[in-house]
Amino acid sequence: MILEKIFDHVSNWNKFWFGLIFLGSVINAILKKFSLVGDSPYVLLFSLGAGALIGIIAKIRGVWL
Amino acid sequence: MSEILETPPEFSFEKEKAIAKSFSQRFQWEMILIGLGQAAIWLSLWPLVLNGFLDLWAGFLIAILCACFAYLPSHEAQHGNYSRGNPKLRWLDGFVGHISLITLKFPYHILRITHMKHHAYTNDPEKDPDYLNAHPKSVLTVIKNVLDGTTLQFGKYVDVFASDKAFVNSFQKAIPIAMFYKFLPMVLVVIFPLETLLLWWLPAKIGSVYTTVFFSYYPHLGTSTGRYKDTRFWSHWMPRFINHSMQLHFIHHLHPSIGHYDEPKAIEELKPFLIARKVPGADQIPDRITLNPLIKI
Repeated sequence: MILEKIFDHVSNWNKFWFGLIFLGSVINAILKKFSLVGDSPYVLLFSLGAGALIGIIAKIRGVWL
Repeated sequence: MSEILETPPEFSFEKEKAIAKSFSQRFQWEMILIGLGQAAIWLSLWPLVLNGFLDLWAGFLIAILCACFAYLPSHEAQHGNYSRGNPKLRWLDGFVGHISLITLKFPYHILRITHMKHHAYTNDPEKDPDYLNAHPKSVLTVIKNVLDGTTLQFGKYVDVFASDKAFVNSFQKAIPIAMFYKFLPMVLVVIFPLETLLLWWLPAKIGSVYTTVFFSYYPHLGTSTGRYKDTRFWSHWMPRFINHSMQLHFIHHLHPSIGHYDEPKAIEELKPFLIARKVPGADQIPDRITLNPLIKI
């Protein structure tokens, strides 16, 4: 069943995708609030990278906290 | 059931059941109002915040309150306490159950079936889906586990109850809703990052911590297995009105069809039975519970 396969993938890679998309977007939005770094063109790249890194670390560790 | 055999005839199970049944008839309109009301308020936060009518931080606080009120109305639905066996009203259980849980991002079907197993196998380390929430080292461990999601081992229980077709079917029915709750915040966060964080994701986490600490941890702390042994009467510094009266959760485990707001009166009448059956903490239950905050300092 396709739905179950997608569900399995999401379950296995949940932490990475959550880090990249969710944490990356939130970090980007927070950094943009600071005028010092908010105008830098690399903010989005840095934010997504930081989010993905946190997600990968959580996936390797198996837990977020 | 040895507790029943050991008690004198004036505390027979039939008498206990008859008293409990008299508190299991009322239509729980206030619980429906809370369930649908908190979901409606939570949904209205989005246009209010996005259009600048409400500060995001105020929305955050309101969303936390909504999340803390989200589980109990769904819990009553899980037990069929709105329809009360009337097939024509069964839709109401599902309707309130699903809508109420939007704030917490949990699929109703999964919570319903795992909760039924929690009742059937309370405190069984292998079969009770709530076991990890009820028996950790400390309340801080519960909070940490809920925040990082380690106690949500739904997959494990599909294996444990693989031979239970109703369980597996309900689980599969919940998969699309579970995926919806995974994907929707991921889409919303790209468009409205801080709003998604503060109106949904974080309040849902805080609401889940609140629910787990007061519904799973405190009522089952230090208890064992057995109908009259698996849940306790407890109290601490917090007035029961701000933790959904979970000091009285034991009566729900004994008679799940008693309406939540009817539990204090039911316990007042059933107290001699509870003491006779040696329910943990029953000897400390005050004679009057209605309007009693049950504070213990």
